[in-house]
Amino acid sequence: MKITTIIFIIIALTGSGLGLAAGTRYELRVDGLACPFCAYGIEKKFTRTEGVESVEIDLKNGLVIVNTSEGKKFSEDQLKTIIDDTGFTLRSVSVKPR
Amino acid sequence: MPANEMKSKINRAMWVILGTSVLISAPGGVVLAHDPVFGIGPHVLFKNGIEVSTHLEQEKAGLEKESELALELVYGITGDWAAGIELPYSSKDDGVKSSSGQSDIRVFTKYRFWREDSLGLQESAAVMLAVNLQNGDEKEDPPLGNGATDVIAGLTYGYEGLKWYRWASARYLVPGENSSGLRLGDQWLVDLVGGWRPAAPDYLKPDTVWLLELNGEITGRAELNGTSLVDSGGTEWFVSPGIFWTKRNFALKAGIQLPVVSDLNGSQDKSDYRIKASFELHL
Repeated sequence: MKITTIIFIIIALTGSGLGLAAGTRYELRVDGLACPFCAYGIEKKFTRTEGVESVEIDLKNGLVIVNTSEGKKFSEDQLKTIIDDTGFTLRSVSVKPR
Repeated sequence: MPANEMKSKINRAMWVILGTSVLISAPGGVVLAHDPVFGIGPHVLFKNGIEVSTHLEQEKAGLEKESELALELVYGITGDWAAGIELPYSSKDDGVKSSSGQSDIRVFTKYRFWREDSLGLQESAAVMLAVNLQNGDEKEDPPLGNGATDVIAGLTYGYEGLKWYRWASARYLVPGENSSGLRLGDQWLVDLVGGWRPAAPDYLKPDTVWLLELNGEITGRAELNGTSLVDSGGTEWFVSPGIFWTKRNFALKAGIQLPVVSDLNGSQDKSDYRIKASFELHL
């Protein structure tokens, strides 16, 4: 039992460590997205940022999903500035570990 | 002034008037990204973005024909402000003589001063300013430029949704006077545009928007050394179907202007058609 508990704790700690090592997923609700050609600036801005692994754009739902590598963090102000620089409006941000 | 010399000046003036109509009515360098083919819209370019595009245009009026190939470069200064330059090369034929070479360079800027964003929709408005330089050789026959610096100011509104588009714009051209004393008439350019996207857009897939424009040109009479030219100025309205096709950062726009109303002063040839195709790349 004790050994089982110890093994479980080790696995839990390792698992959470792996979760942290996998980076962060930012789900941005963005307004003004209607045109794929116009949205290219969002992809360009994020993919040129160090630590960003991928960017997905969902026009219909107004979503921009940015996956970052371990250690790369965005503040809400930084995300707002990036979206504003591409000509759109950031409504909300949801942050999840990957 | 001898009669022959005056006649030659007037003939040259007529060609300048026709030739300039392509440079002015074709939005040229002020057309950015997701804008109409012939009118202008409020869209700009993302900050630090670069747009490289080429435009092919052709206009025919009676025996006179003009073709233009232009290279355009635009830079996004901020997310709401862009500036650029257009370098055109023209080829003209009046049925007897022909000429070709660089025509008047245009520099321009557009500032989007209002934007209202919601889910899947952007409404916005912008002002634009363009200057046609006077580098085109007006001594060529037909002339490649009007020999004067012209200024164009405009205001545009746009509604861009997932399915429907609409734009409205107005531009005012103030022409300069060239060294021969020729000054073209002031001109209003008015555009109303509707657009329809038949299939819901997917960011990584090709996207098509069908456009229908109503373009109006109201031009005052030209003056040569203070004398109003009879065969100049007037009003023309065009209906212009077009298409806007994009895939990620590449866009193709094409359209044709078909005259529906021509009320030109004197004995000018009415426009037969104008066609335009643009290829744009965002970097």
